[in-house]
Amino acid sequence: MADFIQLSINGLALGSVYALAAIGFVIVYSATGVVNFASGQFVMLGTFAGVAMLINGGLPWPVGYVGALAAMALFGALFFLVVYLPLRSSPVVTIIIGTVAVGIALQNAAQLTFGSWPFRLQSPFEGMTIEIAGAVITVHAVAVVVGTGILIGLLWLLLHRTTIGIGMRAVAQDVKAARLMGLRVNGLLAFSWVLAALLAGIAGLMLGPMWFADVNMGDPIALKAFAATIIGGFGSLPGAIAGGLFVGLTEVLGASYLSSAYKDLIAFGAMIAFLLVRPQGIFGERIQDRG
Amino acid sequence: MKLTKRDILKFTVAVSVLTAVPAIAQNGPIVIGATVPTTGPLSLTGKQYFNSLKMAEEDINRAGGINGRQIKIVFEDTQASNSTAVNAFVKLVQEEKPAFVFLSSYSTQNIAVAPEVKKSGIPVMYAGGADAVSDAGNEWMFRIRPADSLAAAGMVQFAKGNLKATKPGILYIQNDFGQGGAQVAAKQFEAAGSPVVGMEAYGQNDKDFSAQMLSLRQKGADTILAFVYPQDGAMLLRQAKMLGLKMPIVASSAAFVPAALQLLSPSDLDNVSGVVDAFVDTSAGERMKDFIDRYKEKFSMEADPYGLAYYDGAMLMAEGMRKAGTDPKALRDWLATVKDWPGIGHAYTFDAKGNGVSDLAVVRAKPGTKSLELVQPIKLN
Amino acid sequence: MSIRTLLGLVAILVIGGALSLVLSDYSLRLMNLAVVSAVAVIGLNFAFGYSGLISLGHSAFAGLSAYCVAILTTKLGLSPWVAMPVAIIATALSAALIGYPLLRLKGHYLALATLGFNVSFTIVAINWLDLTGGTNGIAGIPHLSVAGYELSDERSFLWFALISLTLVAAAAAAIHRSRHGRAMIAVRDDEIAAAMAGIDVTGVKVAAFTLAGTCAAIAGCLFATHIRFVAPEDFNYAHSITYLAMLIVGGEGSIAGAIIGAVVLTFLPEWLRVLGDAYLLFFGLMMLVILVILPTGIVGLVRRISLKRRSPGDETTNVPARAGAHS
Repeated sequence: MADFIQLSINGLALGSVYALAAIGFVIVYSATGVVNFASGQFVMLGTFAGVAMLINGGLPWPVGYVGALAAMALFGALFFLVVYLPLRSSPVVTIIIGTVAVGIALQNAAQLTFGSWPFRLQSPFEGMTIEIAGAVITVHAVAVVVGTGILIGLLWLLLHRTTIGIGMRAVAQDVKAARLMGLRVNGLLAFSWVLAALLAGIAGLMLGPMWFADVNMGDPIALKAFAATIIGGFGSLPGAIAGGLFVGLTEVLGASYLSSAYKDLIAFGAMIAFLLVRPQGIFGERIQDRG
Repeated sequence: MKLTKRDILKFTVAVSVLTAVPAIAQNGPIVIGATVPTTGPLSLTGKQYFNSLKMAEEDINRAGGINGRQIKIVFEDTQASNSTAVNAFVKLVQEEKPAFVFLSSYSTQNIAVAPEVKKSGIPVMYAGGADAVSDAGNEWMFRIRPADSLAAAGMVQFAKGNLKATKPGILYIQNDFGQGGAQVAAKQFEAAGSPVVGMEAYGQNDKDFSAQMLSLRQKGADTILAFVYPQDGAMLLRQAKMLGLKMPIVASSAAFVPAALQLLSPSDLDNVSGVVDAFVDTSAGERMKDFIDRYKEKFSMEADPYGLAYYDGAMLMAEGMRKAGTDPKALRDWLATVKDWPGIGHAYTFDAKGNGVSDLAVVRAKPGTKSLELVQPIKLN
Repeated sequence: MSIRTLLGLVAILVIGGALSLVLSDYSLRLMNLAVVSAVAVIGLNFAFGYSGLISLGHSAFAGLSAYCVAILTTKLGLSPWVAMPVAIIATALSAALIGYPLLRLKGHYLALATLGFNVSFTIVAINWLDLTGGTNGIAGIPHLSVAGYELSDERSFLWFALISLTLVAAAAAAIHRSRHGRAMIAVRDDEIAAAMAGIDVTGVKVAAFTLAGTCAAIAGCLFATHIRFVAPEDFNYAHSITYLAMLIVGGEGSIAGAIIGAVVLTFLPEWLRVLGDAYLLFFGLMMLVILVILPTGIVGLVRRISLKRRSPGDETTNVPARAGAHS
């Protein structure tokens, strides 16, 4: 039983990271319609923004975190200008390939800058653990789960209770109508990218101390985030969370109770099964929106 | 044009013989090829031997080159792709006409390139560990690291002999190294009368190993053999401590390379021993100290056994060229006869399958620190 | 068969054949890789270029076939000439079986579903040790021989590969011109209208996907007999993305585009090697620039230029509408 609790907690911590990555992906998708294959690299950059500030820059963590997030916001704006604007009217596939290409470039750029050695980012709660019913968990992992929860609450408030958020949702539904209503569409689209980059930055900073920072970490995260997004429902924030937790839990519990060699088949099998049986996912967008 | 070239050559040779100056201007440097993963996930280890080959090139040239001729190592990137590795090799052979080539330390890349090596008729050294590479019987290929099966056998021997394991468990990474090593180890435990209680796998990109480790504990494992790569190895050792695993862990070489050690705290290494290719430590002799110090000075990073293997390999190649010349066949034949050649990491003897190394070292961290000490050398055949 | 198609096919053989006589072994090898990719990308053109089905699992079909060849030749000792048709038929059947349920999905849903299929294929190939040899792969696939002559060097294999490419391209062109090709394009452009016109939409999609799988299978056979070694890494999802990128860069909806894209994206990273460690950075950025300045691919650019020169109103060379947008 203690083992089961331990595994569940570890699965949840893992799932929170996938969920955060998936949220960044979903924000961009629902605001701009872009399927961002570079979203894993966004998270990687977030972690390395932390590495640059905390390890290379030697800043204390509150300052370093703010600095890293500022850098990520800047990166989001840059991505909007350099990648999104030129490609915005292209078809889905061109954008997919475009973001893949940018992802390759980002990964190589990170390797040139930081080298191929992994880094260990310290947590503000370094070395602290708590015990629950015989299971051991780091305070950092708890902070990640709690932090993710708070973040999602704030995000919901932003999207539903502020002018910017309501504008973003209006743009997502109908760009032309939004423009006719006098909304500054480009500004709102840019803000979506900045927001996505910020979320990826937070995800990156949170996972840095749990995993090691390494320049090749992006793609595996993106794959799991895709699975999470599909399972939870494309374009849905609660879906991204549910999907992320589901993928994290099945990965750990599946490895324990089914097969450690084939555990990843469970997540991707579930993803395909969801697509076939319930393509809108657990919470997804309405069926007529799909495709 | 051809005639003039040949004339110039004759003239140069004549002059150099007459003046008894080493034939530096004979016809430029001897070109050596090296296909190394310098980008992508494999570059973590690739960087090590990229550096150490550079250092070897300098050292060989400073010591007068090959009977007066300088060498030049030309690098091509293999990425983490078999196909790119073959492209890199074919490009090198085609454009540089190297006298010798170093392949990467990844078995699948080595296996993919093997037919091209045979076609080119150029001797190569490689460091991929899988038995499949040497079993193919390609007479042009020489391995400068212990084979994975040897490392696995060493780990089993240490676990059985020193740790008195009776219910061993195995944890392995799902790649050519991990799968191969785990299979060999399981067979050897079986043969030694204490079959494994569990074998658990994890993916190259996995970040959580709690399920695998708790299952092994559940099954009553009294020792865990871990076949790992550097980064996941470090993470695995950290999580083992966090989960409160009490049994000793015997990890494969990669968990003890500097890239992995820098990620660990001293407490992560309690009760952990490693079966490493070679004990790369300043205490392991004068030549080793010299290599380590200069490597660190030059590249501001610590040397690891992979880097050392290629440095030794390059020195061995240089000696071969001095003695047998740069003719590929002659050089190959010379290498095949190498016996107890004293490298820094090992004494190299190539067997019929081209395996040059038959010894390993068991290491562990000194209590409360991350500095390693030699527990015992292991010699297998 | 139109004159232009015939000229195109002859051009493949003549240009490829001429190049095969002058190029170095290294370039010949890259040519071989490009030709193998071109066969696969022509297949992808059925699925995506004509029918608008985004597949990010194309590489898995090539892998399925390559593994079939590897297993049948090394474990059962069959001749590659026996193994290859078996592999192609088995792969085509799998494509139909997998396509039938998946093709109800559209756009990025289908993209991610096929991506999931490709990832699953890799996981199985890595872990089914007894059959696939795991990550070590399967080595020792025999050379192809034609009339007692072994295709053991890059040049002779290239001739064989070029003939295969020409045959595949000819078949693709014939299908494109046929009723079936028009049905695919009708489905891509407007599914509902196509259904109203009496086209069996599901049937057309499955057929296009199966054709795509068949071409991927042929590419897989060529891969296995060229490299003579298969490993899971050779068929992971990144290669599927590359195939799609080749089609987009070359110009989707066009067989010439598929071939040109395959050649360009095979040679580009190799040419950029001179940039040292930063070459992937440049490769990524160049791809982005190509996508932005050549939205209809290289073939689209050529067409636009020739359209400008010719009198307006020449409808036959119209660039096909881009597919895959939110439908």
